[in-house]
Amino acid sequence: MLQVDFSSTAGYTVAHVIGRLDTVTATDFEGQMSKLISEGVTRIIFDCTKLGYVSSSGLRVFLLVQKQMSALGGKLKVCCLQPSIREIFDISGFSQIFSLFDSVESASQH
Amino acid sequence: MSHQTETKVVSLTNRLNDLDKIAGALEDIAELWSLPVDLTMTLNLVIEEAFTNVVNYAFQDESVHDIELVIQKIDNRLVISLKDDGVAYDPTLNSDPDISMSARDREIGGLGIFLIKKMMDKVSYERRGEANILTMEKLIAD
Repeated sequence: MLQVDFSSTAGYTVAHVIGRLDTVTATDFEGQMSKLISEGVTRIIFDCTKLGYVSSSGLRVFLLVQKQMSALGGKLKVCCLQPSIREIFDISGFSQIFSLFDSVESASQH
Repeated sequence: MSHQTETKVVSLTNRLNDLDKIAGALEDIAELWSLPVDLTMTLNLVIEEAFTNVVNYAFQDESVHDIELVIQKIDNRLVISLKDDGVAYDPTLNSDPDISMSARDREIGGLGIFLIKKMMDKVSYERRGEANILTMEKLIAD
């Protein structure tokens, strides 16, 4: 199960990614992100406070959004990774690709 | 020397919705075998990566194929094997992605097998008759 709630802060759209981001739910997540970007959103924060699981399919969507933001001159920031998810980011080299923050507030201010 | 072995067999098919079955089975054994939450997540991840590869690439028809997942705890070792009757394919021979690349240059995909190799202590492949068998092992910390 995956749920994505949206809010806004300091000019950013915050996507609160809640639950499990696996091969099945990643498709839905990708669709929601495509829709958001097609609506012209170019400043996005992924709040992963309640993201309990991510597989390579989920990481793929993170990378896709990052590539789109780069192409559009936008920004993607990622905050609040749980330690086990952070480990997966470290192993896959994603910690270097993404701007990681400890809170939504610090992500929106830097 | 006698070994203490516990075994869980999960019957799957080549449908991605069976990921729920995998997650459910892991919740069961995590409780039965007192596995830590982080380890359970790691096992879920490597099984998902292996299973998804098989579902997406092993079969050239639209038929339903059985895939057998066996999870064993042998003393302080976890041994996971995934068996399918798809085309012969050894995922351990995949080259690793370049993880030092920037987002712009980084290719989408190719991470699954890499994560398995990094997160497990031993990964091996065998073609036995018409079956692919991928075996992944991890030691459990005392």
